[in-house]
Amino acid sequence: MDGGLESYDLNCQDHHTTMTNLIFFATLGLLLFGSFIILALQGSPKTLPDSSAVRAVTEIINLEGSSFSNARRLLDDTDYQLLCSNPDLRRLADRLRNDRRQLALMWISLLQSDLLTLWRFRRFLIQRGVQSSLGEEVGTLQALVLSLVLLNFLRVSIRTVGPFALPRVTRQAGQLVESMSKGAALVLGRIPAAGWAEIERSWVKTAA
Amino acid sequence: MALSLTIGITGPILELSALALFLRNSLWRAYPRLFAYIIWLFCANSTILVTDLYFRAAYTTVYWYIDSIDIVLRLLVVWEVFQQIFPKSSGLNRSLSKGLGAVACGLLVLAFAIFWGYQNYPGLPADFADRVRAIHLALDRSFGFVQALMILGTLLIARYYGVSCGRNIRGIALAFGGWISISTANNALVAMVDMDNSLRPVFYYLRPLSFVFMLVVWIWALWVYEPNPPIKESEPVELDRWTEDWNRTISTARTIIRP
Repeated sequence: MDGGLESYDLNCQDHHTTMTNLIFFATLGLLLFGSFIILALQGSPKTLPDSSAVRAVTEIINLEGSSFSNARRLLDDTDYQLLCSNPDLRRLADRLRNDRRQLALMWISLLQSDLLTLWRFRRFLIQRGVQSSLGEEVGTLQALVLSLVLLNFLRVSIRTVGPFALPRVTRQAGQLVESMSKGAALVLGRIPAAGWAEIERSWVKTAA
Repeated sequence: MALSLTIGITGPILELSALALFLRNSLWRAYPRLFAYIIWLFCANSTILVTDLYFRAAYTTVYWYIDSIDIVLRLLVVWEVFQQIFPKSSGLNRSLSKGLGAVACGLLVLAFAIFWGYQNYPGLPADFADRVRAIHLALDRSFGFVQALMILGTLLIARYYGVSCGRNIRGIALAFGGWISISTANNALVAMVDMDNSLRPVFYYLRPLSFVFMLVVWIWALWVYEPNPPIKESEPVELDRWTEDWNRTISTARTIIRP
């Protein structure tokens, strides 16, 4: 726009209504622009692995930690609080807390072992010629390191403040393995399903 | 004036580059509506530039009338983005096109209503040239707002259903949506600074500069042919089984809720 498109003088009596209308559009326009920026920054939605590939990964690899489904019960402190409320049962409550602590630590160890197994399986697939990009590999490595750091933090927290201190975060630790498993399934899905049996045989041989 | 001229020349050059890309990579076959829109942009912006340089008296009229035609033709880009993200052959298109068509019609009616309300507004300037300008700005912001909503809605629905976009459509949609949103906000702000002159230079150049930026992003997005990956659909047998499972789950849930 240049000088040829100069402004006009708006009638002052309707100034207020016009201003409200213009402020409304300016705000909406800016909000829409912000939404487009957020969408641009978020990137494309991640490709989801094929459900049969996810099933195949769980069949090929025995994931002991993520197959444990009673994490909610394990980290629930209702029983402990009930026992604590009776002074005669304090020792029993302490024993329960210790047992739960041991079980939670064991579960965290299993989750760590699952993560490492999935990572090894992924490397095994790529070693056998399945395609992947450097960015994808760096992302996986980053997710693995962060997950291990979080699991170690949870381990320290369970040791120091007990199993009931961070129940929600601890429960969600299982999701770390799940997302790693999806990553492995995504890579496995890049080879035809007919070759999965051969992959399984080779993996068992390598793991042994 | 120098900045206006630079923008005026850069626009057609970038549009010509985009057209060359379309022809070099045969992209016009894949994105025909977008190709038509870029041809329009090239013709329109070249006409504006020539009028600005040689027929100064007619410049304002030509600018506003071309801008008004452009507002309608922008729907070609919206339509292209929708058709590329939800191709006609896809199940998502079959499921959503009627409902979304109704929503799009509703939004266009809303844009008409907002514009009509403004056109009949008693506070508009009495002078003919000022009146035309105010009306064009109102037309641009009401339809720009609706078109930005359409693009954003399409992108959000694609995200909701996990439909991936290739580099071409993603770049085109985001740059177009961003520019049209800025245009909506900017037109409102231009009309506001018409009442308060202190901020005028900033807002007068924001829209054309963002338009140039959009063209740069379009060229980047179209540099290599990267269409949207095809939407994976299940076999009809599998879908029938899911439907059966789903219906069984619903009827079990109903039995539990109302034994």
